[in-house]
Amino acid sequence: MAEAADRGDSGLLARWWPLVWPPVAAAIVIGIAWEAITVGLAIPSYFIPSPSRIWEAFWSAPGTLLWHAGITLFEAITGCLIGSVLGALLGVAFAYSRLLARGLLPFFIAANTIPVVAIAPIIILWFGHGIEAKIAVTAFLSFFPLALNMMKGLQSYDRVVMDVFHVAAATPLQRFFRMRLPNALPYVFVGIKINVSYSVIGAIVAEFVQADRGLGFVIMTTYRTLNMPRLWAALIVSAVIGMAFFAIVTLVERLSISWHSSMRSES
Amino acid sequence: MSLAAGMIKSSTPNGSGGLQLDGVSVTYGGGRGHPPVSALEAVSLVVRPREFVSLVGPSGCGKSTLLRVIADLQAPTSGSAQVDGTTPRQARLARDIGFVFQDAALLEWRNILRNVELPLELAGMPAPDRQARSGELIELVGLTGFERALPRQLSGGMRQRAAIARALATRPRILLMDEPFGALDQITRDRLNMELVRICEATEATVLFVTHSIREAVLLSDRVIVMSPRPGRIVSAIEVDLPRPRTLETRDNPRYLDLLRTGAAELEKGYRRHG
Repeated sequence: MAEAADRGDSGLLARWWPLVWPPVAAAIVIGIAWEAITVGLAIPSYFIPSPSRIWEAFWSAPGTLLWHAGITLFEAITGCLIGSVLGALLGVAFAYSRLLARGLLPFFIAANTIPVVAIAPIIILWFGHGIEAKIAVTAFLSFFPLALNMMKGLQSYDRVVMDVFHVAAATPLQRFFRMRLPNALPYVFVGIKINVSYSVIGAIVAEFVQADRGLGFVIMTTYRTLNMPRLWAALIVSAVIGMAFFAIVTLVERLSISWHSSMRSES
Repeated sequence: MSLAAGMIKSSTPNGSGGLQLDGVSVTYGGGRGHPPVSALEAVSLVVRPREFVSLVGPSGCGKSTLLRVIADLQAPTSGSAQVDGTTPRQARLARDIGFVFQDAALLEWRNILRNVELPLELAGMPAPDRQARSGELIELVGLTGFERALPRQLSGGMRQRAAIARALATRPRILLMDEPFGALDQITRDRLNMELVRICEATEATVLFVTHSIREAVLLSDRVIVMSPRPGRIVSAIEVDLPRPRTLETRDNPRYLDLLRTGAAELEKGYRRHG
């Protein structure tokens, strides 16, 4: 343990550098190759814009693009939070009531297989043309992954550990908070990671259906005017948002379930 | 040496950790075309306060089931168990029972100190008190220096030491041990046997120890109960009159070998009777 602490003291950079440099190097190599090919072969920019054209398109009006990105980000975070909380609660209910799980699970799985592009117009019809509809679509997408993983996680406890709690006269609440919930955390994080990836997708798809702002709106309008470099810039911004989301959740995961075998560093 | 099969000793427990089983039977299953399986049949036994009793028998003789009945993890189909004159349920709720399983079953997200103090935390003891008690127990089982280690950083033997410390946390009057060293190698097992002798001398608990090693049983116990294969019945009870404190050298005592031979013969008798 002291050893781990020592490594922590020796600097964040030294620890993260081995993880950071390979993707950065790959991005630089891909960027240069991309630039060389598009410029060298004179590929028209509406077909595949060169990185420099995308960069220009971004900086021609960075404020507007980031403002739209902020709208989408807000929709994604809010929807993801609402969907995750509701999903987690339902997962708990499923884990504690076999009858409820048996009765409702098939319908939730069926609902989960409906493509979001098909359900989004209906939700927008219900929630109107505002931001609430986009949040609702995102929440809908974020609901099932956590519900299912929460249920699985809560059911995955060790029977002998349960016996230990029984012999120690633990109350049902103590069993939940001191045993079943911590034990479920690795599954919960799997669900949350799926949710954060889905949430940006959900918000953008909802904006495709109907919106006057957000990255989905930017992508639709730039496509209609064939302003492809700007469309690509919007795509890259949405990817960066999704990755940042994922990175934050992964960091929280590492900090909170460092005890779990999946978190062992591969050094 | 008394070899009276299933006999109840004349002395009855008197409110300080004794144990009494009256005709305890456990039958599993039945229904959907599966015939019911009888795991335990009419087991009667009295354990004196502070006595160390081993239950020996082949796999499936219901010795674990017997411990589960005493710990209120399993209801007997018929008969009754009494812990200190109360029901197993009352004893469990009074936190008078400690249970060590074959698997250490530690919480992987808690360090050793926090694992050992778990039963005290569940009992609502204030943090400073339970940390002090947990520290004492860790010292007792020889894990000093590993308070902050996570379970996965420890060896199997050390995990089991932590499990023993946890089982003793609430100062239970009954300590039930279900093949606690069954998954360990022989060298670790020998060492932990001696540690257990020392730990039991330091605690006031009555111990019921399940094993399928007659050697381990004779080395540790005041009395060895030999059980037959399914359905589990008591074949005989062997008084172990070896001097205490027991050490690994006890195994060189001719009396130890005598008792081993007797135990092995009784085990064999149990097999013959039930095919």
